[in-house]
Amino acid sequence: MEGQSGKPQALKGISIVELPCLDRMPTLSAAMAAKAFADLGAEVIKVEPPKVGASERHEGPFKAEIPDPETGGLHLYLNTNKLGVTLDLESEKARGLLSGLLASADILLNPNVPALNERLGLDWRRLIARFPKLIVVSLTSFGSDSPYRDVRGGDLIATHMSGVGYETPINQVTDPPNEPPLKPAGRQADYLAGFTAAAAAMCALFHRKRTGAGQHVDASLWLSMVSMIRPSIGVYSHDTPEAPYGVRIRTRDKIGVPWVYPCQDGWVSFSPLTDRFWRGTKTIMGNPEWAENELFATLTSRATNHDAVEAGLVDWLSTQKKQEVFLKAQAEHVPCFPVNTPREVAENPHYKARGFFAEHEHPVAGTVRMPGAPCQFSRTPWRIVRGAPRLGEHNRRIFVERLGLAESEFETLCRDGVI
Amino acid sequence: MGQLPFEGIRIADFGWIFAIPHATAWLGSLGAEVIRVESTLAPDLVRFLGGTDGFVGINRSGMYNSINFSKRGVVLNLAHPEAREVAYRLVAKSDVVTENFTVGNMKKFGLSYENLRKVKPDLIMLSGTPLGQTGPYANTVGFGPTTQAFAGMCHLTGYPDGFPCGIGGTWPDFAVGVAMTFFMLAALHYRERTGEGQYLDLSMAETVTAMLPEAMMEYFLNWREHGPIGNRAESMAPHGVFPAKGDDRWIAIAIATEEEFGALCEVLGAPALAADRRFTRLAQRLANLDALEAEIAARTKTFERDELVASLREHGIATGPVYGPVELMHDGAFLASGMLVELEHGESGRRVVPVLPVGFSAMEPDYRPSPTIGEHTDEVLSGLLGYSADEIARLREKQVVI
Repeated sequence: MEGQSGKPQALKGISIVELPCLDRMPTLSAAMAAKAFADLGAEVIKVEPPKVGASERHEGPFKAEIPDPETGGLHLYLNTNKLGVTLDLESEKARGLLSGLLASADILLNPNVPALNERLGLDWRRLIARFPKLIVVSLTSFGSDSPYRDVRGGDLIATHMSGVGYETPINQVTDPPNEPPLKPAGRQADYLAGFTAAAAAMCALFHRKRTGAGQHVDASLWLSMVSMIRPSIGVYSHDTPEAPYGVRIRTRDKIGVPWVYPCQDGWVSFSPLTDRFWRGTKTIMGNPEWAENELFATLTSRATNHDAVEAGLVDWLSTQKKQEVFLKAQAEHVPCFPVNTPREVAENPHYKARGFFAEHEHPVAGTVRMPGAPCQFSRTPWRIVRGAPRLGEHNRRIFVERLGLAESEFETLCRDGVI
Repeated sequence: MGQLPFEGIRIADFGWIFAIPHATAWLGSLGAEVIRVESTLAPDLVRFLGGTDGFVGINRSGMYNSINFSKRGVVLNLAHPEAREVAYRLVAKSDVVTENFTVGNMKKFGLSYENLRKVKPDLIMLSGTPLGQTGPYANTVGFGPTTQAFAGMCHLTGYPDGFPCGIGGTWPDFAVGVAMTFFMLAALHYRERTGEGQYLDLSMAETVTAMLPEAMMEYFLNWREHGPIGNRAESMAPHGVFPAKGDDRWIAIAIATEEEFGALCEVLGAPALAADRRFTRLAQRLANLDALEAEIAARTKTFERDELVASLREHGIATGPVYGPVELMHDGAFLASGMLVELEHGESGRRVVPVLPVGFSAMEPDYRPSPTIGEHTDEVLSGLLGYSADEIARLREKQVVI
């Protein structure tokens, strides 16, 4: 990632306004969507509530557990490359300033529920009537026109109503009453909805390039997560209920091979089933006698006898170390990876060689390391131009210098808590 | 509604399995001409996965059909040396090339980015692989669900202090797919401004790790490692999945404030819980989570799931039924969401397909059924690439087009 500061940025020139989520259980989806744009060069103006700031500032993780809204890990990560301003959206004067921002923005990212937007005059129909070129992106739990639009949701609820939680952990549940459906780590519904909204906003931007017209883009945590189980939906709509996959989607009982297995010093992911992978698996196991049993001769018979395949494989893995299995299996073209811990991810020689983790100097937090480019662009690389903004850092630059607010008025609005 | 945003954009799609096909389905639904290149000699294994309705055949998979809508299908045996020329002709007329073969395969086929940009100088090419094109482990094979282990996801997902877990829904394939859509469009946007194409090297593992900031930032700020915490959250309690009356019936509940906790206890018929000194404030509840969850579970399991959901929602509590895919398919709001569309497939007939998970107020996506294998081979080879019927027949004979 060295020496890229002079290179162009893919989304330079695009202007985005990100609103704060004012719910008591805020979603971080808009923050992630805006980060996706900002990290590729778009100008993102992040609007935060005065004094308290955006919710992620209070979520940590904090260095040495000392809460500081300027140095929390999620704030530092989610708000890279953004400009930060503060506005109390309950105030009409603040909303007047927001209108000033929207007049020259390409995309608005709004993570608030329809009822609140209507009360604040920020519902998409009104905004698009006023700013016909604006792309208004809603990021809600269930969709802003959904029968559930007033139902409270969030990451946990959206995940478990989507089917993803029901299918997790996959093929490891042997005691269903005591192993409830499980959500993936972190806030995957928020972050996935963020990327989904970002992709959809780009689609709308291309539409505007062709037609000149803005529009509303309706993204939700729920449907973004539902999109993850589309294979199960396809099975359901195409299959007889008695077929093996049909059974799979109606039960959480283990009915196939899991993706992860224990070994001597941890766990590995491992996929032994296809003919080619099975040959490779037998080779690295030293072609044991049990594996030659005709019960394991075909893909179908291995799938039917998955418990026996698993038992034999786990027995062998118990003598193996995870990094060594990874290398041995990959040498035979068998999909296998170590189950890495955060330290093993952060210190991984592969990630290091690719320069994945990005480091920058933050004016308050000092040297900060974090996950970097999720995609490497040869001509317009992902990069951190500036760290996350301090609360209200760009108020003067945006409201006075750009929108032309009089200095005295600016002072008054700051004093009154509007800015 | 009229014009779709990607009309006039052509994608030569060499991708397979789930991630790339999902990304190109987005663009195909919104007007791009996506030409999916496959071969019966090395078919996409998803073509043989579930949802076959008892039929055996390369065109019968419901899984395939739920991911490859709004594309055209062409067969080309890339392992044959003469396939290269056909591929070059296709790429010369395309704007974007997508592929997710194991690192090195495109080069082996003569289709590296360096070669293809000679044919199409402003080409955008996206390669998606488990760990990316460079680095000591670049030559790995893997699917999303195996790759998520490398990225930290499996270690962090699990019951509190429990074993690492694989995530359902072939995680992270479709998350990576939608991220790919965004990155391709960013590159296309840049090309429209400057006329310059580029190469995108996407590592599935890096995309997953970029979605794990809680654990990664904890490590970088405090050099400390998170373990799995189940359905719990660090700043809410209770935040979990609890049993309801009946077999395999579950309810998800997330409590954000003290008022909500009081209301929850009230609805559960246990107002004393809210006054219990172990649970009065968030800090106490977080310190006594096992006891709290046991108290709540003992009560939720006496309620019908949907009745409890309705009562809690009346109190403004974030809650919902835990759905498997089958129940989801009967949820009225899901059916009304527009994400399910009935399409007439060449062999499977009229089937419901899950389409894009977003709504657009000014665009009507163009959803067409997934192609049977090679369904559009002749029209693409003759119409777009200019091969005569004789030439196509000869390519078929030599097993180039198969």
